[in-house]
Amino acid sequence: MTSDRGPVPSMIGIPSKQLNDPLRTSRPGENDPYGVDLVSQTLSAVGFLTDATICIGCKACEVACKQWNQLPADSQASNFAMTGFSYDNTVDLGASTWRHVAFVERPSRDGIAWLMLSDVCKHCVHAGCLDACPTGAIIRTEFGSVVIQDDICNGCGYCVPACPFGVPQLSHSDGGSHKCTLCYDRLRGGLAPACATACPTGSIRFGAVEELRGAGRERVATLKAQGLDDARFYGDDEMGGSGGIGGLNAMFVLNGPPDAFNLPARPRLPRLNIAPSAAATLVAAAGYCLAAAFSFRRHR
Amino acid sequence: MTPQERARSTISHVQPSQRGYYDIPVIHGPHWKWLIIGYFYFGGIAGASAVIAAFLRLLGGKSGAPLARIATYISFLALVPCPVLLILDLGRPTRFFHMLRTFRVTSPMSIGTWGLTTFGGISALATGLQLLDDRLACSRERPGGVWRGVGTGLSLLGGLSGFFVAGYTGVLLAATAVPLWSKRPALLGPLFLSSAMTSGAAAISAVAWISQCKESGAHEQLRALETLSTVTEASLLVTWIMALGSTAKPIAEGHLGAVARHGAVGAGMALPLTIGALSPYLPQRLRRPAAVLSAALTLAGVFAVRYAVVMGGRQSADDPSATFDMTG
Repeated sequence: MTSDRGPVPSMIGIPSKQLNDPLRTSRPGENDPYGVDLVSQTLSAVGFLTDATICIGCKACEVACKQWNQLPADSQASNFAMTGFSYDNTVDLGASTWRHVAFVERPSRDGIAWLMLSDVCKHCVHAGCLDACPTGAIIRTEFGSVVIQDDICNGCGYCVPACPFGVPQLSHSDGGSHKCTLCYDRLRGGLAPACATACPTGSIRFGAVEELRGAGRERVATLKAQGLDDARFYGDDEMGGSGGIGGLNAMFVLNGPPDAFNLPARPRLPRLNIAPSAAATLVAAAGYCLAAAFSFRRHR
Repeated sequence: MTPQERARSTISHVQPSQRGYYDIPVIHGPHWKWLIIGYFYFGGIAGASAVIAAFLRLLGGKSGAPLARIATYISFLALVPCPVLLILDLGRPTRFFHMLRTFRVTSPMSIGTWGLTTFGGISALATGLQLLDDRLACSRERPGGVWRGVGTGLSLLGGLSGFFVAGYTGVLLAATAVPLWSKRPALLGPLFLSSAMTSGAAAISAVAWISQCKESGAHEQLRALETLSTVTEASLLVTWIMALGSTAKPIAEGHLGAVARHGAVGAGMALPLTIGALSPYLPQRLRRPAAVLSAALTLAGVFAVRYAVVMGGRQSADDPSATFDMTG
């Protein structure tokens, strides 16, 4: 980050004036609005840092995401019903919900303690969905994000159980698989993703992954120093990005155990099961060949 | 109040959680149901029958030829519904050919698509050659040396690609985040291969018995293979369920538990093995119906295995505690 672009803004390292100007017409990469060259191949990955300790549960991210990505309402199946168990009426990430604010309500000394967290696709460094996609519809973009190309996806549905976080989902209306694109179209146009732009508290930060990782760890250290012993960073090799996933490009600062937010603490990359499973199957096949050879020789 | 005190009084004294979030699944389960169960079933029979056809042709000598003929036709007939089932299962069936625009080694489904396509081509050629052979046999002409060579080559390729088609589906399921499928990957692949081999052997022997194909030495070997495969499948299934521990819940309890215990193990494995063991003591006229019944039970048992594994995976994915048990 050089200083000739004026003052570096507080948290995400992105000049907010440029981000919020939808009419910005400069060529992508020219003004280098993120402190990274957007279209060159040497781009460092960009992503999110979502901080549960700052989230106020306003759902502006959900609304902004739906609005920008023109996602359909997702409670049509339940006839726009409320869940009835919390302020969380979107329940889960899905084909038409790419940001989901979880409302964790737990008993505390003063009654109820609320933890809120805006969940999103993790844009894994090694992504299960991308590994599994047999059509090439799921790609790694120049921003390091993982995107499903809707014109290629044929709705085989393999990416759905191949995601350790339960992110992609088949749409009942068009049959294809859908998930967060990290607002690929906005990034190409030099804008930050809609959710990060809409977040009023700075709970959702957008920026270069390496910077966000440092910021996240720093935030956790600060919180711990303030006495919040439950603070933890989710998205590195130890937690969230474990088991061959190699870290997450969308990270989280949590103030509770990951499972309270329905996040797996130590997920595994499903692709790693191919080798042991295929090797054992080959051994079994060799066993059948040996048995056949033995049996037929004896009877010949 | 200092910031530290404020933080402590508001957030940090939250109770240690009961695990999870309103019992909402952590991962998304697959949409696969009957069409994919059907594909696993018919694909298994098709692949395994090609393998057995190769065994019979390459190792079985003269007595293997009539059974190899049956195996080749069964393999092709079982293969025909497979692409239809797979395409109908897609969310966007008209785009099925998008599977053929790329090859991805990290995706068992991509490798499987190419393997199944290869197998389909080989199977069609082998079936064509078999039809030709049948015609020539009627006109009492024996095919020449070149045709023999082609036949042997096709058998070998058919056997190899047949093994692939029979076995990759277990690997495909293991390479997901579904706890039931992914916890013991080294057992699920062999289980799928052996249940395919069991169903292939049973299908061939059923047709052989019904068509009153003259008994030969190869019959005995096919029976031996069927028995061996059923025993292997049963031990793999039991080992797999035991190795899964609490993750096996969907297929150890409830509706699917009953299907696995009574359908797969009881009716599909134990009963046919018993019938097989008793058949030498049966009167001659009862042996044929007994053998057909045994093969039919075996085929139904393999279907029960596929059904329990696929539907159990769906239940397993919907159980957040199963996922948390595996991911700490």
